[in-house]
Amino acid sequence: MTLVQSDRPVAEATDRGDAWCVIGAGPHGLSALKALLQNGIDADGFEHEAEVGGNWNFGADNSRVYESTHLISSKPFTQFPDFPMPDRFPDYPSHRQIKEYFTAYARHFGLSDRIAFGTDVVACVPVDDGAAWLVTVRDRATSVETTFRYAGVVVANGHNWFPKTPQYPGQDTFAGQMLHSADYKGADVLRGRRVVVVGAGNTGCDVAVESAQNAVHTWHSTRRGYYYNPKYAMGRPSDQTADLLLALRLPLWLRRQMFKATLRLTVGDFEKFGLKKPDHEFFETHPIVNQQLPYYVGHGDITPVDDVERFESDAVVFTDGTRAEADLVVFCTGYLVQFPFLDEQWLNWSGDHPQLFLQMFTPAYSNLVVSGLIQPDSGQWTLAHWQGQTIARYIVASRERPAVAQRLRDRVTDEAERRFTAGTEYKDSTRHYYEVAHQDYLAALEATIRDLEEPR
Amino acid sequence: MSLVTQGLPSRRRTRVMRPWDWSVPPRGLAYREILTVEPDEPTGRPPLLMVHGVAHGAWCFAEKWLPAAATRGFRSSAVSLRGHGGSGGAAQLGRATSRDYVHDILQAITEMPEPPILIGHSMGGLLSQLVAERYPLRGLVLLAPAPANGAFGTLMHTLRVRPADALAVMVGRTLPMRPDVLFTSLDPVEAELLASRTGRESAIAQYELLRRRRIGPVRCPVLVIGTHDDQIVRPVDVERTAQMYDVEPVWLDGMGHDVMLDADWQRALDTVLDWVDVNIPPGTPPLGPIERG
Repeated sequence: MTLVQSDRPVAEATDRGDAWCVIGAGPHGLSALKALLQNGIDADGFEHEAEVGGNWNFGADNSRVYESTHLISSKPFTQFPDFPMPDRFPDYPSHRQIKEYFTAYARHFGLSDRIAFGTDVVACVPVDDGAAWLVTVRDRATSVETTFRYAGVVVANGHNWFPKTPQYPGQDTFAGQMLHSADYKGADVLRGRRVVVVGAGNTGCDVAVESAQNAVHTWHSTRRGYYYNPKYAMGRPSDQTADLLLALRLPLWLRRQMFKATLRLTVGDFEKFGLKKPDHEFFETHPIVNQQLPYYVGHGDITPVDDVERFESDAVVFTDGTRAEADLVVFCTGYLVQFPFLDEQWLNWSGDHPQLFLQMFTPAYSNLVVSGLIQPDSGQWTLAHWQGQTIARYIVASRERPAVAQRLRDRVTDEAERRFTAGTEYKDSTRHYYEVAHQDYLAALEATIRDLEEPR
Repeated sequence: MSLVTQGLPSRRRTRVMRPWDWSVPPRGLAYREILTVEPDEPTGRPPLLMVHGVAHGAWCFAEKWLPAAATRGFRSSAVSLRGHGGSGGAAQLGRATSRDYVHDILQAITEMPEPPILIGHSMGGLLSQLVAERYPLRGLVLLAPAPANGAFGTLMHTLRVRPADALAVMVGRTLPMRPDVLFTSLDPVEAELLASRTGRESAIAQYELLRRRRIGPVRCPVLVIGTHDDQIVRPVDVERTAQMYDVEPVWLDGMGHDVMLDADWQRALDTVLDWVDVNIPPGTPPLGPIERG
């Protein structure tokens, strides 16, 4: 990626003084913008689309939800803690309800007035030795570009929108259709076809199930066996049960045993369905919440297969020797992190991912912060809220108590590699760079916020 | 990095971890009574949300305060907690806790067009503080608030002056709401009528008032109102509450515990609204004033 250089003279930029810029009006952008305003920090938001919601703005350019998407985590930890979802929402709301929720949040806190919609951020460049940032934005309707000068930038452009597509031998000769889940919007495309679904993330499992309900036959290709968790266990959303075990402070080994016992009692042995035996311990991969997948495997509508070995003109061949005569392949192989308006080195890029303290702060600049670069083993927006609050408390401390803010800066360099795994070792895969154990991560945010609130 | 607070053992710290809220969330409620009176035309003033106390309901504000505050240009609402007034959940009142009540208030808040000023009376005053530590209120008004450091002293006081009432509370019955306990100077017929509208209280919620509550940091302006003629909440507890927020209590002496209903209710309301107009003037942005460079 090339360095974005602004050749504009600084004088042309509109000076926004002490104000900060927030890029993106998805859940992380909204909660960051709210946290800044709530803490007395002037801020402007920029959003590509005409509405808030980010990924949950179904049908938008960078939305990756599909017609049937529902939350896979239940309300209590998924919602913003100071703006609970309405009681009329079910345990696992749909993407439409989530969009409605974000719209209500933005309206309630007066955020929509502070966001420039239909506006792309084309470049962010530090000036005056990093004392400020020049942010160039383009109005999508008029293509007019404007440059603003901000005291700092919060990047919240999301990490689940740029498709990651693997390459397999013979893929070019395949006569059927290939689709990334980024472009999967609903089950229509599956109807009457012979479908290979690649990947066992939550999307992969959702698509495999929808395919089982609509296609002629479905092959589901996964690298390894996984734990397919039910959405409900003993009448309660299962993530609430998981949090109950944490609230009771049970040790990791005991929680693992209890989870496996619950799975054995409710679903049973995955191998008996013809699924692979998990090759790892519970909590070592991002949780998959899908009750229906083993059901359709049991009905013979889904054939679980190994990794893809190669493509032929009319078939996909897997490493276990299975040959699937398919006419549609859906790659549910995840997303890559992209910051098209920033130079990667400013975010302490290491290999193919940024290395940031608390997944937010870069050693390179004290006024460039990323929100949303996390994938928790839980709901997300309680974390979004507290990330925003951490950023706001940090800015307030930088202005009013520099020594306190400096304590955090010292940690940014020393602890950039710290992970929040709650004692587990995640399986190496790009999706796990951003994996955090929610209780571990939140405890770290709490300690950071409390330190930033210290008088000196 | 040191997390030890220096020389300020009682300093209130932000609470992020709420594992019980995540694992055993309050039950939802099918119907929640929210009574609202709108002003004739928009005035740029922040909306008000009022929360009642033990055994009361939104009706206690609807009676006088809601229409009068709307006349002064405030969009005024009052919520009935579950099992109270016209809200659902009467059958489950027995297991209602303060956590459920805080949930009810937050649900009422999120239905409002913008962040409100929360006005809590008695137990509602304590609940409002629990809301204020987690939600960015415009302002917080506490009317004869139940003390956050536990109402044990109140119970002992009641045991001396009205032993039968205190014993009733101890065995889990609702604190008796007689006219002479709630009002000082109201017309007896009206006083009797209003007192008869009070209902039952959850025994758990009532016992919880005895417990000391740790309230996190509250960043909005706070007004604390009490009266030396209150038969339920002692002036000393009102003073302690005011101290928690570094403010002086405002006294409405001569009035009884139910300052929104007693004969002088207009003076009480004017005290609140005058304070609001000074501290949260019309046009204050939803999330408070912004520092501009």
